Amino acid sequence: MTEAGLDLSGLTIRAGARVLVEDLSMTLPTTGITALIGPSGCGKSTVLRWLAGILPDTLAAEGQARIGGRPLRLPDPAIGFQPQADALFPWLTIAQNAALGLRVAGLSAPAARARVAPLFPAFGLAGTEAMYPAELSGGMRQRAAFLRTMVRDGQFLLLDEPFSALDAVTRLRLQGWLLARLAERPRSVLLVTHDLHEATSLADRILVMAARPGRIRAEIAVPIPPSARSEHSLAPLRETLKTLLLEDPPT
Amino acid sequence: MLSRALPPLIVAACLLAGWEAYCRLAGVSPLILPAPSAVLRALVLNRAEIAVHAGATLQVAAIGFSASVAVALAVSVALHFLPRAERALMPLFVASQTVPLVALAPLMILWFGFGLLPKVLLVILVTFFPMLLTLLAGYRQTPPALRELLASMGAGRGQVFLRACLPAARPSFLSGLRVSATYAIVATIFAEYAGARRGLGIYILQAKNTFRPDLVLAAVLVSAGLTLALLALIGGLARLTARGPEARHD
Repeated sequence: MTEAGLDLSGLTIRAGARVLVEDLSMTLPTTGITALIGPSGCGKSTVLRWLAGILPDTLAAEGQARIGGRPLRLPDPAIGFQPQADALFPWLTIAQNAALGLRVAGLSAPAARARVAPLFPAFGLAGTEAMYPAELSGGMRQRAAFLRTMVRDGQFLLLDEPFSALDAVTRLRLQGWLLARLAERPRSVLLVTHDLHEATSLADRILVMAARPGRIRAEIAVPIPPSARSEHSLAPLRETLKTLLLEDPPT
Repeated sequence: MLSRALPPLIVAACLLAGWEAYCRLAGVSPLILPAPSAVLRALVLNRAEIAVHAGATLQVAAIGFSASVAVALAVSVALHFLPRAERALMPLFVASQTVPLVALAPLMILWFGFGLLPKVLLVILVTFFPMLLTLLAGYRQTPPALRELLASMGAGRGQVFLRACLPAARPSFLSGLRVSATYAIVATIFAEYAGARRGLGIYILQAKNTFRPDLVLAAVLVSAGLTLALLALIGGLARLTARGPEARHD
C-alpha cells in the first residue's frame, strides 16, 4: 500500500444479532480504480456507507480505518461519496448543486461558485449553470453529480453503482469520460458495481465479496492496461469472476 | 389563468341564476331567503359599515394566522429534532382539535375578555394543527439520498434540516397553509360571534337578530371574499418561493 492510501481492517457490521459484514479488510492505493463486486445483499453498499460515514443508526460497526496513517474520520473530508441515484437537489440550480459540498464545508456562496464555475466545460456542462436538474438528461445529471463530488477534491471517491440508472450508450460514454477526468486528476476510486463488464473495463483490481456474512473472498488484479482492453482480452477474466460469483449461494 | 377560473365561475353563475329565479318565481319571502340581487343591493347600501366589520375580522385573522404560521414552524422544528417530544405531545395536539369551537369560544372570551387575545388564540388553535401535520410529514418525506449525501459531506443535523428537510417540506407546507387559511376567517367569525365589539361575526349576529338575512348573506359573501383573498396571497407566496423549473412556468 502507498503511504497515503486507505487501510481498512477488521470491519464487522451487525444488524442486531445478524452479522452483515465480518472481519473485512482492504486497502485502497492513492490512485486507480478498485471495483467491489459480489452477489446482491452481500454488503458492498454497507461497506461503502460505513466509509462515507453514513451507516444507519440501526447498524452497529466495529473496525479500523486509516488514511495515510491517521485514523479515518466518519465522514472524512478526504472521501467523496456518490450514491446510486444522482441525488441532485431539485430546488437548486446545477451550479448550486455542484457547489453544495463546498457550501457545507463553510465556503461562502460566491467563493463556492467561483470554485465550480471553471469546471463546467470539462464536465460537459457548460451553459447548464442556471438550469435545474429536471431540465437535464440522465447523463448530464450524473456528470453534475460527479462534478459535485470531485470539486471537494477528496483523494478517495466512493461510487455506489453510479452508472446503473443510465442507458447503455450513455453509460459507455460516461465511463470513458470518468477515466479521462481521473487521468487529469488522479484519485483512488472504490467502485461498487453489479456489472462485470463495468468492473473489468474500468478497474485496476477487483475485490470479490462473498455473502452471509460479507467478506472479501478474492482480490484479482486486472493485468491489461486500460488502453489495451477489449471484449476478447477481458473475456477470460470475466469468466473467472462469473465462476466465483456463481459459486456463492444466493442471499 | 382564465381557463382555470372559467369553470367555477360558470358553476357559480348557474347557481346564482337558479337561486334568483327560485326566489322570484316561487314568491319566497325576503325575510326567509333573499334573492342574490337583494343580497348584492344590501351589500352595496351597507358597504361602509360592512367594510369596518370586515376590516376588524381581517385584522384578527391576519394576526392570528401569522402567529399560527410562526408557532407551527417553531413547534414543527422542535418536534423534528425531538422525536420523543413528538410522541408525547402529538396526542395532546390531536385532542385539542376535538374540542368543539362552540364550547371553547365563549370560554376564551370569559378568560381573556373582549380584546384581540382570545380571538387570536382561537384562530391559532384552529389553524395551527393542519400546518404542523403537513410540516412534519414534509420533513419526513425528504428523500433519504439527499440527507445521506449531506451527511457524507460532513453536514450536521442542523445543516441537513436547513438544506434538505425544510425545502423538501415546502409543497406539503403550502397545502397545509391553504387548508388553514380557509379555517382562519371562519374561526375569527366564530370568535367574534361569541363576543366582540366589531367584526363580521358580531355583524352577522346583529343582522340575524334584526331579521335581515340579506345582510347576513352579504357578510357571508364578504367573508368568502376574504378567504379567497387569503388563498390568493398564499398562491403569490408559493410562486415567489418556487424553485426549480416550476418557477419558470408560473
